[in-house]
Amino acid sequence: MASTVIGAGITIEGEVTTDEDVVVQGTVRGRLVAKDAVSVESGGAVEADITGGPVAVAGTVTGNINSSDRVDLQNGAKVIGNVKATRITIADGAQFKGNVDMDV
Amino acid sequence: MANSTVIGRTSFIRGRVTGDGDLEIAGRVEGDVAVSGEVLVDTSGLVAANISGSRIVVRGAVKGDLVAEEALVIESSARVVGDLRAPRIAIAQGGLVRGHVQTGNAGPARPRAAAAPARATVSETKARPVAAPAPAPTRTVTTVKAPPPPPAKTVAAPVKTNQHKPAPPASRQGPPPPVVPVLKKGTKAVQKKAR
Amino acid sequence: MARTRTGGGGEAVIGRSTRVRGRVSGDGDLRLEGTVEGDISLTGELTITDGAKATSNVEAQTVTVGGELEGDVRANGLVRIESGGRVRGDIQGELVAIDDGAEFNGRLLAEFELPEELGSSNGGRRR
Repeated sequence: MASTVIGAGITIEGEVTTDEDVVVQGTVRGRLVAKDAVSVESGGAVEADITGGPVAVAGTVTGNINSSDRVDLQNGAKVIGNVKATRITIADGAQFKGNVDMDV
Repeated sequence: MANSTVIGRTSFIRGRVTGDGDLEIAGRVEGDVAVSGEVLVDTSGLVAANISGSRIVVRGAVKGDLVAEEALVIESSARVVGDLRAPRIAIAQGGLVRGHVQTGNAGPARPRAAAAPARATVSETKARPVAAPAPAPTRTVTTVKAPPPPPAKTVAAPVKTNQHKPAPPASRQGPPPPVVPVLKKGTKAVQKKAR
Repeated sequence: MARTRTGGGGEAVIGRSTRVRGRVSGDGDLRLEGTVEGDISLTGELTITDGAKATSNVEAQTVTVGGELEGDVRANGLVRIESGGRVRGDIQGELVAIDDGAEFNGRLLAEFELPEELGSSNGGRRR
């Protein structure tokens, strides 16, 4: 499926809803709801709750992450918010502050 | 390209999209779009928003005003309800537009130094009451040749193009340009919005 | 009524040095190379050539503007503003083409519906 890519210089203030993959290189402020994978790349900033399939973060997320799948916080990631996922990895170098709920 | 944004066919954005770079809309946008680069509303694009950019190409459906700094291209599959404003506007046969259309100086954007005088000339001539077309451009050109440096210098500041026009020939130019946020190149995602 | 001369092929021509003040109407095509001040109503095709000027509301089968037109246009077929053409006025109809380099200041009044998702828009926009 095609991707939605929010480029580096772009800011979206509002709601983003999609059935596709989303790659955030710029800024999203508001809400992000995807049915599939969400990737917040290095330099990307999401000030919003993220709902999606697998979520990979190398940038900044200020908001809750609600994943139906796995959440990977990569080196360089900075996440402030609660994470709900089936699996989670927090790489060395990732910063995280929040609760993790793996529905155990 | 890092500065390219694609809003996919199944995506829906409700809010404001602003910033530097090009934007391709194949999905749905409701709100406001103001970017510094080129905007393409693809055939599947559905936009209920005003759009401003350096260049705007429409193949899909738009309900909103389109303001381009350089050129506006409405292709044959496009359907647009809204006002169009750009120095150059092309509408292909088959493209459907309902609204006010104005070529010549685009809204509040600072004109490109070289091109602006020529276009200012042309608008000038239009604004004049019925007069012989042929000699008019020549006359106006000489008048306009004087101001080109000022527009170039004021590129940094967002000024309405009205102020750049030489006073004598311009009486009416049609409706005042809409105040639409347009970003300078290099602007980080912070901009003033004067709506 | 305006006086015209018939060019080759049955097309009426208003020559470059001719200036018409008054209503122009007729069957057939009209090629305007001069100046007309007054409405133009044709069953055929109107061509306003580069250098010509009409201050007229126009009704015709098709309209091609390479010169200057100030007035409203209503056509059954294609209305085309060529590069170098200048039009100020409203254009009615769904067959409109504006070439890159043309100048236009006026309204396009095509009647059509936008897709449902964008809301009803028939009859013109509301701000």
